[in-house]
Amino acid sequence: MQETSISTANLEQCLKCNLCTLVCPMLAVNEQYPGPKKAGPDGERYRIKDPEYYDYALKYCLNCKRCEVACPSGVKIGDMIQSARIRYGSQSKVRGLHGLRDWTLASTDFVGGIAASPIAPVANGVLRTGAAKAVLHGTLGVDKHRTFPKYSSKTFETWFRKEAQAGQEAFEKKVNFFHGCYANYNYPQLGKDFVKVVNAAGYGVSLLEREKCCGIALMSNGFAAKAARQGKVNLESFRKAEGPVLTVSSSCTHMMREEYPEVLGLPNEDVKDRIMLLTRWLYPRLMSGEIKLNFRKDFHMRVAYHTACHMQRMGWQQFTLEILRMIPGLELTLLEPNCCGISGTFGFKKENYPYSQKIGETLFQEIREAKAKAGDSAPFAVATECETCKWQIEMSTGIPVMNPVSIIAQALAE
Amino acid sequence: MKFDIIVIGGGLAGCSAADVLAEAGRKVALFSEGLSLHDASEGPASHKEQTRPPYAALSALAAKGVTVFRGDSIIKAELSEDGSLVTKVFSRNLGDEPLEAGAYVLATGKFFSRGIISNMEGMYEPVFDADVEFEADHSKWFSPDFFALQPYERFGVKTDAEGHVLKAGISVVNLYAAGQVLAGDPMSDSEIEASGKAAAQEVLKKL
Repeated sequence: MQETSISTANLEQCLKCNLCTLVCPMLAVNEQYPGPKKAGPDGERYRIKDPEYYDYALKYCLNCKRCEVACPSGVKIGDMIQSARIRYGSQSKVRGLHGLRDWTLASTDFVGGIAASPIAPVANGVLRTGAAKAVLHGTLGVDKHRTFPKYSSKTFETWFRKEAQAGQEAFEKKVNFFHGCYANYNYPQLGKDFVKVVNAAGYGVSLLEREKCCGIALMSNGFAAKAARQGKVNLESFRKAEGPVLTVSSSCTHMMREEYPEVLGLPNEDVKDRIMLLTRWLYPRLMSGEIKLNFRKDFHMRVAYHTACHMQRMGWQQFTLEILRMIPGLELTLLEPNCCGISGTFGFKKENYPYSQKIGETLFQEIREAKAKAGDSAPFAVATECETCKWQIEMSTGIPVMNPVSIIAQALAE
Repeated sequence: MKFDIIVIGGGLAGCSAADVLAEAGRKVALFSEGLSLHDASEGPASHKEQTRPPYAALSALAAKGVTVFRGDSIIKAELSEDGSLVTKVFSRNLGDEPLEAGAYVLATGKFFSRGIISNMEGMYEPVFDADVEFEADHSKWFSPDFFALQPYERFGVKTDAEGHVLKAGISVVNLYAAGQVLAGDPMSDSEIEASGKAAAQEVLKKL
């Protein structure tokens, strides 16, 4: 009986135990949010009957998926809330200046394509002035405490084609690299670090035929159709490429593996198993001895690892931790898996900023304590696979945050 | 990935077994499908005011060096040819990465936690397909007296005298069971905890 009545996102499996409610970071700081159980499986029963029951407070969902990690029954609560926002929340699409803001924040490819160019130093400079921040706060509603991530004057792709592509021909075996927007437009060094690690592992790097933003920011800001169009382009590229498609960002990876089929309706079973973070691919090969990495003898660093929300949902942090532990001179501590509060573009909006900071405070405090305990005898950094966690933690604690791939690259012997 | 012991289940039984094993200096992995009821929070929702946050038990185990996999579960196992040893297990999130250990503790609970699954054909244990003690006649699963101990409450995984789980009548000598997944009378919380500790002690006799 049950086999034939399973709804999307496993709605019927909800036992109403409320464990998801206990771990929801938004509910802990915002009483207007109904919480994952009411917003997810409870609300869905009503919404199926009549879309009028759609509650606009669902906009507060961070899509952190911590409800799904806590659910003992495998209900895809977060996916259900995302889908409801797409299906029923369209009339609530923000218009006017805040709508323009949401579009700008979500259109990482479009904005990055313009800003990551020779005009980058000017754009970076202007966006950092108090006057520009005040204008953005007052008009578009981008919170004045936020600083836009810096744009690079040259994209990773441009660098790769000019400086690195020719050298990749020397490698017999290759992996495909989905660099993502952050490595391409904001921080090409992360892409360079990826190439360095993969080359040191004895593999060459190929770029995909076409790469679009994974679409997570579009999906969260009400532009699901556009996100799906971009998703299709990416999946098509993955199908044409042979071998693994490796990534450096946990949220892009989670989006392409889990949310493409569950939320955007893009089937990906034929390529899903090939999409993974570099450390997920690297770990079994290091253990089998197929790949050997030579690390520096003089490396010294204290690292506190933060399990980003989507990393926690995929459950892959152990691969990264095991590799970091192989680096001599690296002292590793594991932070409690708490949400940093930014949730991609969510925390950039001035109406969300206070919630964002309240949610993150538990994590920030733990990071400050970890740094105080680590002392000053070696550089201290937080490691995480999520770039928006990086912005949030750096802004809120002043402590540097690095992608584990960059730490591995720095620790490699020349 | 290799561990000394893999504990399957993050409820009271699994957590108390993992605690004993970690205290004894063993390298332990614990897989917890979701947040367990015993590990829920206490106090008002705002995490500043809680007297105990959610996951306090799992966090305490992590602080003792246990590798905790939150929201992940073991879904598949491989056994040696003679069926007497578990050689590796696989989890939903870690995919094709084999997980190996000297001993395994099955602490997945009963029907509510899906440690035992029932359907119209009968009952089974989903990870190892261990032998399950139950009444073949479906009509004998329930007692008409609503308040009486229901026969189905006693159904569960079979073990030998040393606590090894049985599969197809053969003792799997590195697989132990703890807590409600076991056949027998329903347990109180303190009995579940004691059962976890007892399984850990059995493991420590050999490892």
